[in-house]
Amino acid sequence: MNDNNVKIEVKRLHFYYSCGTQALEDISLSVHKNTVTALIGPSGCGKTTFLRCFNRMHDLYPGNRYEGEIWIDKKNILEKDIDHIGLRSKIGMVFQKPTPFPMSIFENIAFGLKLMGIKKKTEIADRVEKALKDAALWEEIGDKLGNFALSLSGGQQQRLCIARAIAVEPEVILMDEPCSALDPIATAKIEDLISELTKRYTVVIVTHNMQQAARVSEYTGFFMMGKLIEFDTTQKIFTAPSNKMTEDYITGRFG
Amino acid sequence: MTIRLKKNPVDIIFSSITAIASVSVLLLILGILYVLILESYPSIEKFGFLRFITSTDWNPVKGSFGAATNLFGTAITTVLSILIAVPVAIGIAIFVTEIAPNFLKGPIGAAIELLAAIPSIIYGMWGLFTLAPIMANYIEPALQKSIGSLPLVGVLFEGTPMGIDLLTASVILSIMIIPFTASISRDAFNLTPAVIKESAYALGATKREVVKDIVIPYSKVGVFGGVVLSLGRALGETMAVAFVLGNNHQITKSLFDAAATITVTLANEFTEADTDIYLSSLFYLALLLFVMSFIILALAKFFILKTEKGIKQ
Amino acid sequence: MTTAQVRKLKNGIALTVCTIAAFLGLFWLIFILWDVLVHGIGGLHLSLFMNDPAPPGIEGGGLRNAFVGHLIITFFATLIGVPIGILGGTFLAEYARGRKIARVISVLSDIMVSVPSIVIGTFIYAVIVKPVGHFSGWAGAVALAIIMIPVVLRTTEDMLSLVPWTLREAAFALGAPYYKVIIHVVYRAAAAGILTGILLSIARVVGETAPLLFTSFNNSFFSANMNEPVSSLTVTIFQYAMGPYSNWHSQAWAASLMITLFILVLAVLGRLLLAWRYGKRPTI
Repeated sequence: MNDNNVKIEVKRLHFYYSCGTQALEDISLSVHKNTVTALIGPSGCGKTTFLRCFNRMHDLYPGNRYEGEIWIDKKNILEKDIDHIGLRSKIGMVFQKPTPFPMSIFENIAFGLKLMGIKKKTEIADRVEKALKDAALWEEIGDKLGNFALSLSGGQQQRLCIARAIAVEPEVILMDEPCSALDPIATAKIEDLISELTKRYTVVIVTHNMQQAARVSEYTGFFMMGKLIEFDTTQKIFTAPSNKMTEDYITGRFG
Repeated sequence: MTIRLKKNPVDIIFSSITAIASVSVLLLILGILYVLILESYPSIEKFGFLRFITSTDWNPVKGSFGAATNLFGTAITTVLSILIAVPVAIGIAIFVTEIAPNFLKGPIGAAIELLAAIPSIIYGMWGLFTLAPIMANYIEPALQKSIGSLPLVGVLFEGTPMGIDLLTASVILSIMIIPFTASISRDAFNLTPAVIKESAYALGATKREVVKDIVIPYSKVGVFGGVVLSLGRALGETMAVAFVLGNNHQITKSLFDAAATITVTLANEFTEADTDIYLSSLFYLALLLFVMSFIILALAKFFILKTEKGIKQ
Repeated sequence: MTTAQVRKLKNGIALTVCTIAAFLGLFWLIFILWDVLVHGIGGLHLSLFMNDPAPPGIEGGGLRNAFVGHLIITFFATLIGVPIGILGGTFLAEYARGRKIARVISVLSDIMVSVPSIVIGTFIYAVIVKPVGHFSGWAGAVALAIIMIPVVLRTTEDMLSLVPWTLREAAFALGAPYYKVIIHVVYRAAAAGILTGILLSIARVVGETAPLLFTSFNNSFFSANMNEPVSSLTVTIFQYAMGPYSNWHSQAWAASLMITLFILVLAVLGRLLLAWRYGKRPTI
């Protein structure tokens, strides 16, 4: 592996919830620049917990504890004095269900831009337009930016959330089962979008849908019971897994 | 789901009994309205509506009655107490939902709810014995010295600070409604889906920004409903103000003057009313209070229902 | 300063202001409770519960009449208000479930819960005290019952609605008529919740003063006769606190302490019961 291509390097990560349960055990892997990395595994295996470590989402709830290191661009983001707000503005996140804010479509996307300190109206408008174009939403809703975001369909809401995340031009985009609440057509649109996004972003996606992982990702990690069982190129995982458990899961023998 | 009753005779009897019991609420409201109108009719006939609510003359000896002084006292104490209570209550609600460490959230929330259960007479008596002297000796002189010398607003702080006045009554009323308002605001804040807040945090928002841009827009109608509900409570509160307002039927300029609210007048004078027109005028006051609170409470209910519906959709 | 620094500064200021507001609010409330406790304990003597009031201005005496009177009035108010409330709530959650009338009465009850209690006092004065010609314990009990009904009715409705519909279907499937399903299955499943509603409604009325002022009025002598004026703690507190004698004041504090404690115990019990049964907070 060429070190220059590594965007995120996870080293011996352990994670404990405030109740004391250990949710992740000794995880190490590398996420490559401008690729899609899929995290798969049965429910409760820790894949979402793992994803939420990258932007320190667990810190919103006191008592949760990390051990180990996550290096993003020469910086260990698990250090105590990390600036959560700066970190999160560099790492976008898209959630399982669409999470439109209670404001207009335009304001939803402008939200992050305003947080970044952009005050010029023209610049905000330009970047909102660009984000909507990048999220393949401009043609559908470009003429109704003043509408309430909740008035959009589920698939549009989810692409709006993606647009909102990429408007601030993060380096990494985290996606937590972004299609699980959507119908097949909306899912296809989002999958196309994800492939498109890798031109500029590094994407980590959690999914319970193995076909989806196979379709969109270059690398795949298989999680089970808080452990990373196998991590390799997607092609290798889906054609010649080296671990028996991975093979059983891929072929549908459990999970 | 509606139930189709089979013709079981016991069921018919039981359902009728329960129907009567629940309709009793409706009948009570109509009954109260009817009885109050009936009892205040002599006064309505004599003083009319506009004259009654605009006249400041409250003279049992001459048999001449007007509600303006009572309406004035009720309006000032209610508005002032809401102005004091709402910022504090919302501060408490934000603290409990967003700031306090987890182990404090439950206990503080429960303490606030328990405090809302303490009867108003306790607040009133505490106001008389503890707060009124504090107000008279420290807070009111200090206010007089600082804001009292300013033009325009200075007139609000004129006179000798006695502690038995509009300001003290409003402060007690505000302390009494804080737990109530805080509790409703907290419930409204809690309706904001956690995942929406998380996505704002994921964009790098600070706590203040999440509260300002996400939580408050999400819950503002509900919080507003809570504020209106508190207004309705403050409007009809008797005992918390009865101790410290005096019973002075005058429209005063200063907040350091004694005054009278509708409720305080009723509490102090109802059993002393010696003429029919006196008693009838008191019933008229009660009628005004009932109608005003009913409208305000209905509005509050409307706003609260609206948020709950909005969140569900 | 950079934008990020300004944002963090604003954040810090806003959070501090909220925290101060919260502690300011809690400070006053704790101050009040503490004051009631300190003054109240000072006035607590056995004679408070054993003796009737001494003539004004004379030391000694107690509030036996008011304690007993308050208990009797509350007891009868509960006896009248609770059954009506439970039956009314049953109609809303069962027979009229999903019908418009249920919505309307439910909303009206919510409004009734907050209607000024002194208005209820004037209403009862007009319909009971005036026709009978004198104040009476009954008038006070009915006034309090009117305040209780909407409280009990709404909690009963909520608690019955929490009982899963399938439970009723299971009973229907056995051929039970609806009233039997309600009494034997639904009431039993919702018992803890209904009991909480009763406890909270008692807590609500036991501290009421305004509706008693011109219904049960006051009585300086011991009387358990509901057809006569009956003394209550709250009205006595009002009278004593506004009076000129220091032993009246200390008895008023002691009575306040007893009422506060009683209400807090009821409220805590209600909450514990609900937490134990449903693992959630009540809404009242």
